[in-house]
Amino acid sequence: MAPSNELPGNIFFYLIIVGFSAFFLLTIAARLLPFLKAKGAPCLDQLPQRVGDFMLVMIGQSKFFRRKYWYSGILHPLIFWGFLVLLIRSLNMLFSGVADPLSLEHLPGGIFDFYKPVMDLFNVLVMVGIAMGAYERFFVKPPRMTLNLDAWRILGLIFFLMVTDILANSFELNLEGESKEAFSFVAYGVSNIWSGMNLSHDATGMLHATFWYAHLIILFGFLCYLPYSKHSHVLTVAFNVFFRNRERSGVLRPINIEAMMENAEEGATFGVGKVTDFNWKALLDFMTCTECGRCQSNCPAYLTDKELSPKEIEHHGRMTLLSTTPTIASLMKGKPSPNGDHLNLVETMGFESIWDCVTCGSCMYWCPVCIEHVPEIIDVRRYLVMDEARMPETAQATLMQIEQRGHPWRGTQFGRSDWMQGLDVPLFDGSQEYLLWVGCSGSLSERNVPITQALARLLLQAGVSFGVLGEEEPCCGDPARRLGNEYLFQMQAQQAIEIMKSKGVKKIVTACPHGYNTMRNEYPQFDGKFEVMHHTELLDQLLREGKLQPKVGLAETIVYHDSCYLARHNEIESAPRRILESLPQAKIAEMERSRKTTFCCGAGGGHMWVEESRGRHINHARTEEAMATGAQIVATACPFCIQMFEDGIPALEPDEEKRMRAMDVAELLDAAIGTAPTVKPATAGEGEGVPAST
Amino acid sequence: MPLHIIACVKQVPDPEAPASAFRVDEAAKKVVAAAGVTPVISQFDALAVEAALRIKDAAGDAKITVISLGPETARDVVKHSLAMGADEGVLLTDSAFDGDSYTTALALSKAIEKIGDYNLVLCGRQATDWDAGVVGYGIAEMLGIPSVSLAKSVTVQGDKVVVERVLMEGYDTIEAPLPALVTVSNELGEPRYPKLQQIMMAARKQVTIWGAGDLGLDASKVGAGAVRLNLERLFQPVSEVECEIVEGETPDEIATKLAQRLREQKII
Repeated sequence: MAPSNELPGNIFFYLIIVGFSAFFLLTIAARLLPFLKAKGAPCLDQLPQRVGDFMLVMIGQSKFFRRKYWYSGILHPLIFWGFLVLLIRSLNMLFSGVADPLSLEHLPGGIFDFYKPVMDLFNVLVMVGIAMGAYERFFVKPPRMTLNLDAWRILGLIFFLMVTDILANSFELNLEGESKEAFSFVAYGVSNIWSGMNLSHDATGMLHATFWYAHLIILFGFLCYLPYSKHSHVLTVAFNVFFRNRERSGVLRPINIEAMMENAEEGATFGVGKVTDFNWKALLDFMTCTECGRCQSNCPAYLTDKELSPKEIEHHGRMTLLSTTPTIASLMKGKPSPNGDHLNLVETMGFESIWDCVTCGSCMYWCPVCIEHVPEIIDVRRYLVMDEARMPETAQATLMQIEQRGHPWRGTQFGRSDWMQGLDVPLFDGSQEYLLWVGCSGSLSERNVPITQALARLLLQAGVSFGVLGEEEPCCGDPARRLGNEYLFQMQAQQAIEIMKSKGVKKIVTACPHGYNTMRNEYPQFDGKFEVMHHTELLDQLLREGKLQPKVGLAETIVYHDSCYLARHNEIESAPRRILESLPQAKIAEMERSRKTTFCCGAGGGHMWVEESRGRHINHARTEEAMATGAQIVATACPFCIQMFEDGIPALEPDEEKRMRAMDVAELLDAAIGTAPTVKPATAGEGEGVPAST
Repeated sequence: MPLHIIACVKQVPDPEAPASAFRVDEAAKKVVAAAGVTPVISQFDALAVEAALRIKDAAGDAKITVISLGPETARDVVKHSLAMGADEGVLLTDSAFDGDSYTTALALSKAIEKIGDYNLVLCGRQATDWDAGVVGYGIAEMLGIPSVSLAKSVTVQGDKVVVERVLMEGYDTIEAPLPALVTVSNELGEPRYPKLQQIMMAARKQVTIWGAGDLGLDASKVGAGAVRLNLERLFQPVSEVECEIVEGETPDEIATKLAQRLREQKII
């Protein structure tokens, strides 16, 4: 029997349910309004994978189990699984509250009884989780967290939910004197205390009713409070995980510029300048962020004292969204938003923050609730560049450079085919298996030219059938896209796709992870479907096939630095390591941040050419990590990473003798194969490829 | 009447292309750029457009007309200026215009007269291909208007233009009555980045094309026959460097030998 099965209890019961539910539903209705008006986002593709992913990430809490965050990796699943388990008890409370026959207690075979020990166990485990959370917030105070009263309210509410649940159950056991104590073991233990106190039946009934209603009120109060707290993820996270972008994390979505121009009215924008210009999934991200700060504590920009914190991007997105979202009060007054004073998106998120991002995707990798920070930041960049033409000077110079000269290396003294001098590299004519995509850096930037030559020698040595585009090779467009000029990117991409299609290219191999990501994952958006390989993948394959046999020993320690666009965005981690392991006598060291948890060199997202004017240099931070391993060589597999190390090493080690060397995996393999250079490296003039800023 | 500003822009081979991309054809007396060298807007001319736009921004309203003289491809630099925010574009293209700085200035001044109703003409201080720096003043001379050179700031105040003119140390402030011609220097700042909406609008705008006939000029006045500059020879000077390393056991010995070598060469 529930206290609400007879008068006057049932009046309270229905008042509570109707009152709270009405408030909750009104809040949700108001909150949904901007979502209904927002742009769409693909959310139902790959359904089976979505379901599997949902089970793993949401139900399995897989993104919580990370060694670095083992503590919250324990406490959060305890609370979450307890929430799921105890949801049944809460539902039963409502069922039996309406009428006793609806109670799950009456299920055939008394199966509900067998579920009771599980629920009681979780009553305790949830409280353990809460105690751990309270301890963390009160004593540990991790800097990544936003510590405020809100969290305490939520922890308190959950704690009292557990307390009232146990107390109500314990009095119910005494009240009904049922012999089911063995099942509800926690409540039974507590009920023994009351038995020892010899409480009267009436007093027990009163206490049972009190805690029963207290539990009900806290439960509904919690539900109603959630949308107003930073813990609204309880309501949104399931959708956020299920509808997450299924593409690789390095992919940016295209915008249909032509269609936008045709339909453009005055004031139409290409990027996102108002929070309501975001697609609904981005808005859901804002409402799902719990400000746990894992993104921030792994963000290379934040960790080197820049303005950007991905956590604040989400927080400010939410603040801006809520400033345009009606509240119940404003709805009643017929106003579309709380005070009509919408926050300005760019000002709230911060111009500097938007430009600090290196698009390394670390935030997205670490986020336990699948928030997609990077595409949101780029959406705002698109607005700043295409709609407002507002960007750092060096970003503008880079975009102008690509626009006018078709590559980002301002002032280069090289032509696109200079590196080929003395090498018997054919132009691609459709008869070869692979197109070697050299890339702007591979041909125009002084440090990268020898890498391209080493790679070409290896491919020739292994008898790989390949050709190059030579002077016809355009820029793949990656820097333009990451710097927010989607229009310029699309022009570059279309040009590249056309050239490759006209030559009959099927397979591409490139030494640039950025070009790899763009051509492999983004060109299909423009009907450019090619099989793209990174040079480390092909070299690894050639080694395993025995077509390359390293013989020259290298008695040194090598530490491999993972490029974000290889390891994190495209899951290429083992191939470069296998190549290094194949080098005779070489010893391999690892940095703490490696593979998918790698730390950006500082040059991603177009930042190779954008001045780093705030905080410490990201490449110095990463170079320090590499140097700390004691390795003599840092191996890279990206034209930008290697340059960032080449810059960082002399800055941190004044003694030339002691300096670590930065070398591409291909250069190391080339040396080990023993195909000594047959030509001198292409000679540059006075200058070299330098960032557009200088 | 809102202000009417005319900006002159030239298309040049990318001045940042590596030197190896250029070849001197001594017989034809021409510099030949390799295929990879893209034609771009002359940097100082982009700044002339920028200066015009700044005046327009400050005034709230002004009309900016851009003129270029060159081959068909020079349409790109007119379009670029339109994308930056200029209102109208004119391209003077005619094989008869193939002359020198004098004939170019003549053609441009005739085009400016034909456009008419202008208050201010802006040019880059020099084109970043030949760096002659003559055409702007030639136009002013032919139009009979005052000219001010090397501006780092240009503002219009009532019926006069106020120019901050770059000097070796500091700057002059010069006022001139309108209409006037001002040449703009790099100290002005950076040219603005075109917004996408403007790029799209510029793509749709028509560029007016005029030939010599449209300007009332016949080929004998602006073509090769009218040039006042005679190019005697175009060649790349050859400079040879020989390097000799003086060797020795001790620094003293090296220094002695070096001194001897220098004396032999009559350098010391």
